[in-house]
Amino acid sequence: MTAPSSGATAAGRAWHVAWRAWRPAGSLVVLVAAILFPLVFTNPAVTNYGVFTLVFVAAASAWNIFSGYSGYISLGHAVFFGSGAYFVGIATKDWHYTGSKVFALLPLAGLLGAILAVPFGLVALRVRRHTFVVITIAVFFIFQLMAYNLQSITGGTSGLLAPTINYAAATYNNPFYYAAFAIAAGTIALSWLIRRSRFGLQLRAIRDDEDRARGLGVRAERVKLSAFVISAVPVAMIGGVWWYYTTLVDPSSGFDPLFDVAIALMAFLGGLGTVAGPVLGALIIEPAELYFQQQVSSGYIFLILYGALFLVVILVLPRGVIPTAAELITKWNARRKNGGGPPGQALPASAPSPEVDLSADGSKGSSPQASTARGLA
Amino acid sequence: MATFLRAVTDGILGGAVYALMAAGLTLIFGVLDIINIAQGILVVLAAYLSYALSVHLHLNPLLGLLITVPVMFVLGVIIQWAFIRRLRGRERTAMSLLVCYAVAVIIEGALYAKFGSTDVSIPTPYANSSKDQVHLFGFYLPYIYLIGFGLAVVAIAGIYLMLYRTKFGRSIRATTQDAVAARLIGINVNRVAAITFGIGVAVTAAGGMVFGATNTFNPDSGYDLISRLLSIVILGGLGSIGGALVAAMFMVTAEEIVNIWQPTWATVVYYAVLVIVLLVRPTGLFGKQEARAQ
Amino acid sequence: MRAHRARFFAVGITAAVLSASLAACSSSSTSSSKATVNKTPIKIGASLSLTGGFSTDGQAFKRGYELWRDDVNAAGGLLGRKVVLDIKNDASQPNQAVTNYQTLINVDHVNLLFGPFSSLLTAPSVQVAHRYGFAFVEGAGGAPSVFATKLGNLFDVSLPVDASTLPLLNYIKSLPASQRPKTAAFPTSDDPFTQPQIQFAQQRLAADGVKSVYSKVFPAEPTQYKGIADQVAASKAQIVVLGSVDVPTVAAFTQAFVQDHYNPKVFIATAGPDQGSAYVKAVGGQGNADGVMVPNAWYGGSPNALSKKMVAEYIGKYHGTASGINADVAEAYSVGEVMAQAVIATKGLNQPAIISYLHSHTMTSVQGPVKFDSVGQNLAATAFVFQWQKANFVQVLPPGSGSVPVVYPKPVWGK
Repeated sequence: MTAPSSGATAAGRAWHVAWRAWRPAGSLVVLVAAILFPLVFTNPAVTNYGVFTLVFVAAASAWNIFSGYSGYISLGHAVFFGSGAYFVGIATKDWHYTGSKVFALLPLAGLLGAILAVPFGLVALRVRRHTFVVITIAVFFIFQLMAYNLQSITGGTSGLLAPTINYAAATYNNPFYYAAFAIAAGTIALSWLIRRSRFGLQLRAIRDDEDRARGLGVRAERVKLSAFVISAVPVAMIGGVWWYYTTLVDPSSGFDPLFDVAIALMAFLGGLGTVAGPVLGALIIEPAELYFQQQVSSGYIFLILYGALFLVVILVLPRGVIPTAAELITKWNARRKNGGGPPGQALPASAPSPEVDLSADGSKGSSPQASTARGLA
Repeated sequence: MATFLRAVTDGILGGAVYALMAAGLTLIFGVLDIINIAQGILVVLAAYLSYALSVHLHLNPLLGLLITVPVMFVLGVIIQWAFIRRLRGRERTAMSLLVCYAVAVIIEGALYAKFGSTDVSIPTPYANSSKDQVHLFGFYLPYIYLIGFGLAVVAIAGIYLMLYRTKFGRSIRATTQDAVAARLIGINVNRVAAITFGIGVAVTAAGGMVFGATNTFNPDSGYDLISRLLSIVILGGLGSIGGALVAAMFMVTAEEIVNIWQPTWATVVYYAVLVIVLLVRPTGLFGKQEARAQ
Repeated sequence: MRAHRARFFAVGITAAVLSASLAACSSSSTSSSKATVNKTPIKIGASLSLTGGFSTDGQAFKRGYELWRDDVNAAGGLLGRKVVLDIKNDASQPNQAVTNYQTLINVDHVNLLFGPFSSLLTAPSVQVAHRYGFAFVEGAGGAPSVFATKLGNLFDVSLPVDASTLPLLNYIKSLPASQRPKTAAFPTSDDPFTQPQIQFAQQRLAADGVKSVYSKVFPAEPTQYKGIADQVAASKAQIVVLGSVDVPTVAAFTQAFVQDHYNPKVFIATAGPDQGSAYVKAVGGQGNADGVMVPNAWYGGSPNALSKKMVAEYIGKYHGTASGINADVAEAYSVGEVMAQAVIATKGLNQPAIISYLHSHTMTSVQGPVKFDSVGQNLAATAFVFQWQKANFVQVLPPGSGSVPVVYPKPVWGK
């Protein structure tokens, strides 16, 4: 989020201060609201929405740490999701865990995700971006098919069932809600820290122009792989939570291609490469999908509307809600300040890098590479 | 030995059907940098079109192609003009993924609304009877597969000729190499993009017809298709039409051969082969080394 | 003295009981004038796959539930109250199914629950129902893994799998040696529904001296079935026991067999041919459907009186023929019937009472008698084997009441 520096008027300055303070205050409000949510809205049907939404908040944010910041679109993160789910399932069965003890397995699931991400990343990151997408899809299918075939481990098509838990019905969802919340909050914090760090800057440099970044001394392979591995951990953990909550994982639900598309859509909608973007996207899309999909009469109409909505959003808000909103606010501020000065000026280096349009329509004003490069050395 | 030959034959013929479906995808992918993830559902749409023509107008599906090919071409142009053309900037490729996915969802919903979820198949005399086939070396090769093979070869040869022997084809290649320069020398880049997309989709009309005649399908069939098509296109090399043909046949044949031993591992082999080949040759079997980065 | 008192008591008690029941009878017969009798509709909630991979079956289930609802309401409702169905779409996704049942219970406050389609959706859903103590009657979640959770509220009205092909296996054994087929092929989809059936058939046939010349599992969604089907054809097996879950699988195998001029003497598929006209159309007409068999608990021509009535109504509403009705409709209808019997017998909507009743009684349905064991499998379900004979879908095995003679060997394709 940006704000033009030194407003000319007192009101401008006050606004400026409020603007700066808004971000952390706003985040605190959201955090507290999320913690209190199941205590205020106690109806399990509502907290159910909360659980699934938080699953996607965590997954989309984690995905964004890699794909959003580096620009390499992965459609294979379901590999970690399913692996986490199956890991917790197998461990629960083999080690005879029941009740709340199962949640202790989640960090191990995260570790497994990281371990899997290393070879996966090494293999996949050797190729260019278009090919990268397809390799992630291929690895995804390999995992799904192995889940079908290694029946003695994964239960094959029957899948793995969770033991029944003795939680009271009225508050059954809450432990899952808080487990998912913890993972989601942790992922968002991680995303924020990375974005502010040099590591994050290196990632974004890779996104802007990898060859140039390399030339400037960024160890691209290492950076990309690290981001990939980091992004795998929350996804695997949340997969474990999801399994325990829905009580069943089978190859088609644990390794679901629609999961990958969903988290990509959520990150895009909210704003790819921003911290709050995937969160916003998940908060909008997941509850909407759960709510609208149930309607019988609009069964197929839902599909059409869903697709149409996305088309509209992607075409109208190509960079997602948050960056576009940020830009509009910046423009509005600038206009107020300068009485309608050129909106494109005074963008500090920490702004999300604007597109450099390579089409013949002419390139936009400032070059972000220069400022990005300055921060790298 | 006979089983092996049978598997290879099935692989080549089956692969041709997939090549037909993939040819359009690789053209779009290679030329426009667009991941047209709607290709799967477009094949299903084309199959439904052929189905409707065959069932309601009693039109021979091959003749029906005279209608479905132009219709799909126009549809492709419309999709490109209305949605894809507006995508700009560095994230074009990733965003094309989402735009095409949205289009695919809309088409899927429309197909459900019109045709319901019943599984159907295009009734052609070439596929369902035991008479319309060639009896060769103890194998029966149904006409429909031979037709599919023939169509694949014709379509691919046609695209090649267009790309390398016509002026329009030169415009396409110029645009692929450098859109700015192409525009500077007077090529209407937007028109080229639209028409190329249209051609890519038009080819699916033929693919859809053969697919629909050799499989039962319903609106849900698109998802399965697209993942295989993407793999084929990448394996063959982006933008290489001939590569798509070879890759398709190679993949399906490999699957058929593994089928002899253990069908449940056949698809794993498919994807494993892709990963291995890409490790060795990151641009695919026949892909060009790209001059610019990423 | 004592006898006197005893008799006095007996008379007194009898009188009390009689007058109480008379009062109850009179109150229900004049219910419209009594404000105390509950006339609010009974809400029954279900999550069905109206879109997505299971949509064909989900839609058929919806028709079955709705047909049952219409019949019950036409006859005066359940406990005198109108039945209202609250059906939500789960798009064949487990997350949505779980959400739907949570919503049905906690927001829509339904009185009763019906199950979804498919074991993969039933397993998570029954857990939700179990939490809230609801009886969960369903007709399409029969994979052994579902029952492994041993939840006491699960009730599957349909035929438990594995021994489904038994009548056919017995028939084959009964054939004279000269006519009996000697070889068999067992292609099966990788599915918890088909594999137990195929394995059972394979073991039995092996014990009966039939050699297995092809036995492979193929993935749930292969690139194409043709290669596998061609291999089955090349094996020249005289019996084909196909583990299929849907029409497209059977249609693909049929198409390949037709093209290869391969005519097994016996062709039985575990699912697909029971889906009526959808099946016939997909295989290219009755010529290709002729002679193909399928195990099931029900078919359109069933002589069961309840079934006949349901079939007549279905045809009245949706047209078509009895043979054209998807067996899922009967499964769904049976769910309604069984639940209704439990509700009426326990005179209310008390879930523990209903669950207890379901565990301890035999009920009737269009699919025949229903008796649940402790984990919820229907032990009274009999396996029948059906066959397409010309345009008719008929019961052929076990021989006896209601069955027509088997057409053996299977007629050549297309004739």
